[in-house]
Amino acid sequence: MNTLSFDSKRCERIRLQLDSYLSNELLVETATEIVRHLESCEACSRDLESRMRVRDALQRAVAKQPVPDSVRAGVLRKLRESQPRSLLSTTGRRWAVGLAAIAFLLFSLFAGEWLSLRRSEQLIASILRLGVSDHLICAIKGHNYPEVANPPDQIRNKLGVRYAVLLQVVQERLPGFEVLEGHVCSIPGSDRKYVHFITRGQGTILSVILTERNGASLPKGKFLASAESAGLSIYEDHLSGMEIAGFESAQYFAFVVSELSQKRVLQLAGALAPALNETLQTTAFQGLNSYVLDALFKLRQEIPTSQRGEIIQALSACKGRVGGTDGAATRLGISRTTLIYRMRRLESTPNCIPE
Amino acid sequence: MPQLTDLYRTACLLLRDRHEAEDLIQDTYLEAWKSFHRFETGTNCRAWLFKIMFHRLHHVRRRLVKTSRVVTIDDPDGQVELAAEPVVPQEIRDEDVLNALAKVAVEFRDIVLLADVEEFSYKEIAETLRIPLGTVMSRLSRGRKLLRQELAEVARSYGIDPRPKQAGAAETA
Repeated sequence: MNTLSFDSKRCERIRLQLDSYLSNELLVETATEIVRHLESCEACSRDLESRMRVRDALQRAVAKQPVPDSVRAGVLRKLRESQPRSLLSTTGRRWAVGLAAIAFLLFSLFAGEWLSLRRSEQLIASILRLGVSDHLICAIKGHNYPEVANPPDQIRNKLGVRYAVLLQVVQERLPGFEVLEGHVCSIPGSDRKYVHFITRGQGTILSVILTERNGASLPKGKFLASAESAGLSIYEDHLSGMEIAGFESAQYFAFVVSELSQKRVLQLAGALAPALNETLQTTAFQGLNSYVLDALFKLRQEIPTSQRGEIIQALSACKGRVGGTDGAATRLGISRTTLIYRMRRLESTPNCIPE
Repeated sequence: MPQLTDLYRTACLLLRDRHEAEDLIQDTYLEAWKSFHRFETGTNCRAWLFKIMFHRLHHVRRRLVKTSRVVTIDDPDGQVELAAEPVVPQEIRDEDVLNALAKVAVEFRDIVLLADVEEFSYKEIAETLRIPLGTVMSRLSRGRKLLRQELAEVARSYGIDPRPKQAGAAETA
């Protein structure tokens, strides 16, 4: 009788902790005690088993819940709709810009057409200069690329979700050139952002550079009628000993910059232009504010791909050591006991790295 | 988009309405985007998003409560008895467990979802719901038990009487 009541008291105590045991929230010592009890007590282990069954059933059922595509679309729409506020504030500025433009137009009618021409040429020249210097500084002088091409995933990461799709286009449309590096950069003293692909081939370095038009156009005089590619006019220029061939998409300027001959650069730009233009005009590029995409992309990067992978990586790096100053727990920034729980949860034991 | 499926599924179960859930998710991401600067790099982004969602959920529920009353299930028994442990059927069907979950009062349902489905730690749940750690533990225990009871109820309604098994176990013991 005594033993029985003692046992039921013990069971009662154990069962009060079963919830925490199930959630892996107990100290190692307590958890060990429970495991020991469960080994000898069939009723309690049946209880735990039924709790686990409910939890697993719930997880399974929830995971089967369909998530319609409209949810994602809805979120994107909402994020986009939230833009008008910031757009409204710029509408005021746009009006001002508009009025200034009209005033300027009237003025230029009197002052002579050459003035406006000069202005747009200056803007383009500055873009080109920045684009070329980007190529020079980033690729040639700075040697801002590895000897061995970066893995595509790393390049995509650097480009961010918005420009990652362009990598494939550049790779496919520039046969004989290897994409070493891709990133978004800017030149000190300028707000302008450049999407920069550095490729190597035909004994030299060739850059593909994209930048937002913000309503500007390339000067009409320098388009080569002979170098039209699928309805896209190719623009030609040279600066600082570099040959430049470019085209304009709806929202972007794209340039191919290299030391190769003018003919060759034009040829390459012609091959790249239609596909690049098509990609730049897809909805992903038009619809979403780049800021939203970047924020969301950053958000995604914060999440470890899997807890398991992280733990395994830390363990391998620490040669299986869990505790201590050079142990995996310190490396992961969690306590030794927490790591041990998580490992147990992932069915891995200290000094034994799965796979 | 990060965590979208998890958030949406949880929202569906919390609100029992797909449209409300969609609205909630949209508001959550909007809020996340607006206050993105407040997100501390290196901390758990998943927990952060859930925290925002539950914050929004609070407002949504307050609005919904005006039209329909949330009924809290009161447990007159209070103390848990060993013998009263509900016996859960061996095979649990998806719709049964979801229906059973729907019957569990919201404050317990939230916790069961966060702990058992999303597998957040007690500490994370406490921060997400802004309640003390002890409350998380008691509500989780209560919520899980209510869920088990509902499932046992379902089994009984199908005519499966789980009791004989328990009687058998008692005999052997």
